[in-house]
Amino acid sequence: MPAGVFKETYLADMALLRYPIHKAALIAGLAIALLFPVLAGSYGIDQAVALLVFFIGAMGLNIVTGLAGQISLAQGALMGIGAYTVAHLALHGVNVLVAIPLGAIMTAAVGFVLGLPSFRLKGYYLAMASIAVQAILEYMFKTWIDPHQGISIPYNTKIITGIYLGKGLALYYLVLGATLAAALFAANIGRSGIGRAMKAVRDNDVSASVVGINVTRTKALAFALGSLYAGLAGGLYALANPSIGWGAFTLDTSIEYLAMVLVGGPGRLVWGSLLGALTIHTGWSLLAGAFAANAAIKYMVLGGLIAIFVVLEPDGLIGILRRAKEYFRLWPFRY
Amino acid sequence: MVKESIVMGVLYSVLALGFNLVYRVSKSINLAHPEIALVAAYAALVASMQGLGFFLAALIASFIGFGIGILLERGVARPLLGRPPVALIAATLGVFYLLRGVAIEATGSYWSGGSLGDFGTVYRIGAVVFTGSDIAALAVALVALGLVIGIHRFTRLGVAMRAVAENPYGAAGYGLPVRRLTALSWGFAGLLGALGGLAFGLKAGVSPGIDSYVLKALAASLLAGLDSIAGIVVGGFVLSFTEQFGDYFLHNYLPGFGEVAAFIVMLVVLLLKPYGFFGTERIERL
Repeated sequence: MPAGVFKETYLADMALLRYPIHKAALIAGLAIALLFPVLAGSYGIDQAVALLVFFIGAMGLNIVTGLAGQISLAQGALMGIGAYTVAHLALHGVNVLVAIPLGAIMTAAVGFVLGLPSFRLKGYYLAMASIAVQAILEYMFKTWIDPHQGISIPYNTKIITGIYLGKGLALYYLVLGATLAAALFAANIGRSGIGRAMKAVRDNDVSASVVGINVTRTKALAFALGSLYAGLAGGLYALANPSIGWGAFTLDTSIEYLAMVLVGGPGRLVWGSLLGALTIHTGWSLLAGAFAANAAIKYMVLGGLIAIFVVLEPDGLIGILRRAKEYFRLWPFRY
Repeated sequence: MVKESIVMGVLYSVLALGFNLVYRVSKSINLAHPEIALVAAYAALVASMQGLGFFLAALIASFIGFGIGILLERGVARPLLGRPPVALIAATLGVFYLLRGVAIEATGSYWSGGSLGDFGTVYRIGAVVFTGSDIAALAVALVALGLVIGIHRFTRLGVAMRAVAENPYGAAGYGLPVRRLTALSWGFAGLLGALGGLAFGLKAGVSPGIDSYVLKALAASLLAGLDSIAGIVVGGFVLSFTEQFGDYFLHNYLPGFGEVAAFIVMLVVLLLKPYGFFGTERIERL
């Protein structure tokens, strides 16, 4: 906390919007998000939808990595579970608005099971377990669930009261609404008892268990919540694309998610994830468009960013922004 | 199949030992290891394509592997001292991507892969048939394995490195150059990665998929226990036999089972015996 700023009541200290910058950022962000489709063309809307989908997934991974301190490299495959659940339900004629929550719950169940090994494993062991899980799930996608690299989702399951939800404004506002709900939920996790338990486990799990936190349950819950978000992201991905293939849910996607969290700001669920998704996803789209960049450059930029941020700036972009803000808040005085 | 298991077992051991050496000194996993093997194998490929001869190519690959290992220690592992082990995993994951990008960019038209030379002769030992490239791969891998295990076990340098891995503060108290020895361990790990990648290239040709085999070798590492050295051979063989025989018996029901066998082994080991066969259990205190 900066010098000279005091919270006098517990309520003020625990409020959802604690600092003026929160209010300003929220108002500006909401205005941009709501007015964006008016200003941008259909390409811009598609990009924005993709950004929001990745933002949701990154928030999920941020709960696991940033709050609970467990590194997970299975977020891409979990997103795939959500997407495939929605696709298969849609093939049986279930409307997507019903299928997406079901897909998210399904993914959360899988994530909970994946989180169970954490009662024995910690740190790098869990990271390796998640790599193994990612590989095994990828294998299952390739062999059983989607052997032909592409499941198309029936057009009529995306229609509700005559409006087609898979494209344009309807899609954008639906995804935006889901994102806002997810963001509010994430912000509330961060400032509730569950979130504080996760932070305690992240900082030192042995002392967390000494003060009476059920470490296993907290970790499994973090995984379940992270997977819920991944499943929601996957479901929305299936809504936004006419067909889905396992190529979108590989280890590369998982690493991209991890990059979003680490670059944006681990532990800063909403704004950190948003900055990360903006930098990694949209930044990359712009870069690829501007310089006709290829896969090699993508690997180099992404890998370099991850390594540099982990070594030099563990707080991520949001840490840099906060320092800049603190510098200018009382400028030209230092405190 | 038996031959394949034996050759793969030795190769997995070499690659997995690289993970273990790093774990011993830095207490975390070096996820950039697969790409060290890939970069070194491609360096050898490019060198031999330029007509430098196999031994010169192998030398270049070893130097590159050793150099990347040292640079990783200096640039990534040392600044992260005292941070949680997860930080090193994330950072080396970044280097994984970085090296892959560099490899694609630098090799250019060679990226599609190629063969490291022709070793056409076929050798028979009993009922087991080895091709020339198998023998060459085995030779490189055994030399690498013998060199590093031998140094660790029989030389004063090896004793010093073991001491640093065991207890850096105590080792520093006895006047050992802890930083240099840590860097050297990373260098040896890089060297093992390079020679393992090279052996892989000799056996099956250099291709962009080499790094996925190195990732599978992580399962061998876990089987043996992350801080064991000679035990790694057992881990490598168990992994390769599981893979080959599992694929043989199950491929009718689970096509391509060999691809995921390593990861299933990894998950099972992590759940049942996280410290492996020969690893020491960690006891945590506050």
